[in-house]
Amino acid sequence: MRQLVLGISPPPEPAFEGFVTGRNAELVSRLKALAAGQLAETVVYLWGERGSGRSHLLGATQRAAVHPERLFIADDVDSLDAAAQIALFNRINEVREPGQAPRGTVLAAGSAPPAQLALRDDLRSRLAWGLVYQVHTLTDAEKATYLRDEATRRGLRISDEVVAYLLTHVRRDLPTLVAILAHLDEYSLSRQRPLTLPLVREALGAMQ
Amino acid sequence: MQNLWDACLRRLERELPAQQFNTWIRPLAVDGNTSEPGSLTLAAPNRFVLELVRERFSGRIEKLFSEESASPVALKLVLARGADGLVRATPTASNVAPAAAKVPHSLERARLNPGFTFDSLVTGKANQLARAAAIQVSENPGISYNPLFVYGGVGLGKTHLVQAIGNFVAAQRPDAKIRYIHAEQYVTDVVRAYQQKSFDEFKRYYHSLDLLLIDDIQFFSNKGRTQEEFFYAFNALVEAHKQIVITCDTYPKEISGMEERLISRFGWGLTVAIEPPELEMRVAIVLKKAEAEAVVLSEDIAFFIAKHIRSNVRELEGALKKVLAYSRFNARELSLDLAKDALRDILNVANRQITVENIQKTVAEFFKLKISDMHSKKRNRNVARPRQVAMALAKDLTQMSLPEIGEAFGNRDHTTVLHACRTIASLRKQDSVMNRDYLVLEQVLKG
Repeated sequence: MRQLVLGISPPPEPAFEGFVTGRNAELVSRLKALAAGQLAETVVYLWGERGSGRSHLLGATQRAAVHPERLFIADDVDSLDAAAQIALFNRINEVREPGQAPRGTVLAAGSAPPAQLALRDDLRSRLAWGLVYQVHTLTDAEKATYLRDEATRRGLRISDEVVAYLLTHVRRDLPTLVAILAHLDEYSLSRQRPLTLPLVREALGAMQ
Repeated sequence: MQNLWDACLRRLERELPAQQFNTWIRPLAVDGNTSEPGSLTLAAPNRFVLELVRERFSGRIEKLFSEESASPVALKLVLARGADGLVRATPTASNVAPAAAKVPHSLERARLNPGFTFDSLVTGKANQLARAAAIQVSENPGISYNPLFVYGGVGLGKTHLVQAIGNFVAAQRPDAKIRYIHAEQYVTDVVRAYQQKSFDEFKRYYHSLDLLLIDDIQFFSNKGRTQEEFFYAFNALVEAHKQIVITCDTYPKEISGMEERLISRFGWGLTVAIEPPELEMRVAIVLKKAEAEAVVLSEDIAFFIAKHIRSNVRELEGALKKVLAYSRFNARELSLDLAKDALRDILNVANRQITVENIQKTVAEFFKLKISDMHSKKRNRNVARPRQVAMALAKDLTQMSLPEIGEAFGNRDHTTVLHACRTIASLRKQDSVMNRDYLVLEQVLKG
């Protein structure tokens, strides 16, 4: 029996370039402005379902930030404990306090829009105060495009048939698709076989 | 007439609790100029006192008049000259620099936002009493109601109101030592004083203030040392006739983890509530915020935002920002359609909760089936078709793979799911009833 190594190399550092914008063009443009220190708003909150790219966007903004020391990032606000919630609450109050130039920005993300977060009322309403964006997941067509581009980047030829198969047979959130593609890349490479449907079935079967 | 009023005053002082007497009755003065035979005119320092006295005490006062005087005497209430607090407050308050201007040093020291003025506060039924009381306090800090205790839910403008008091007083008395502080920061200051053994300095600072505005006092809950320090500060300030204004998310008796001696002191002055704004007030708030952003917003857009965002003012502000940002980004003019597009995410928030269980339940209810029919092996059309609809919805509205969907529908093969999706897609093209049902279900699920 052969021990399979799930050949996922450490993911690349999150960057705006690596993000498929889809329906999130406005959001991405705001975050770029934020990173460049050109956003007037001091509180920005993103929400979206698992795998929509929230954390990627937070990381990309942080990496691109001209003044990272003025950027306060809180990911997965849903899981903040009581003390952390108060810390974020204080942070928001601070950046909104006048006369403290430069004020800094709070960039937060969670799984639900502010009103539906199980957090302190006063924190929830403060998150709703600034700019709030939903991170939209990609459509299946956009995911197909992304898979093709990602395969090309890896020097992997991928047929429409295989793309269609992946989009119906594995979870369709982007992190899962990317991880599967990386695995298929290694699988095909280690066996020196092209990425055909039978190979994909075999590789996925071996994963389970 | 003055003698008659003095006699009444003595009786009222005996009848009423000291707080009520000092707040409402003592400020009234006999207005000799307008008193006519058979009537006594009392001048109230502002409209707030006037209305409250008229409402709650006028009957009793007239009764006392007739008891103390040989003939019946009617009570007339007027505003003291030049004391129309509501009218006068506005122009003075608006003299305070707007938000965009440079923050004066004194305001910075006081930690006040110069944009928070009475002028920029939208008034409605929800906050008119609190506003009137705040104006009264601003005009007579330390004298009228001490403390002024403002309570209400989150995002209703408590901070705006108390900072407006600060800004008003700062404009009137530039030398006044004012401090706005959030209760959480006060707690931090106490902790720091503890660590650095600098309680003397801490006390000196807080006890020397002319006006202390303390926000969200509920943060003191279960913090014994903070409560003790605040107790001393409170006593020192009140004794020196320095004004304290407190905000809280609930009224004094409801605060948990707070010492009784503090709770009782919170009730010494005046306690006023801020309620959530009603629709018209929300519309006015949206228009005002737009004005602050130098944007002309039509009423139908303001109405649309206000109708859908009901919970608090912060969310209203967030929604307006979102509409303006969307308009700028897409280079589209502000319109009702644009507002609808911009707020679609916020208004459709329920779609995050779409799960396959949710879909099965909704579809079963819609077609009057049992949820178990979704998993069953039954193949008669009146069960199989709705099941196919549910599978197609699961494919469209969730990120699940076809095998996962198949598994959720009684361990069916993924090809069955694929077949269902294709069948429903083709049926929707031919059968308008099917198409409508599908769209209705989709809408129900998305909220």
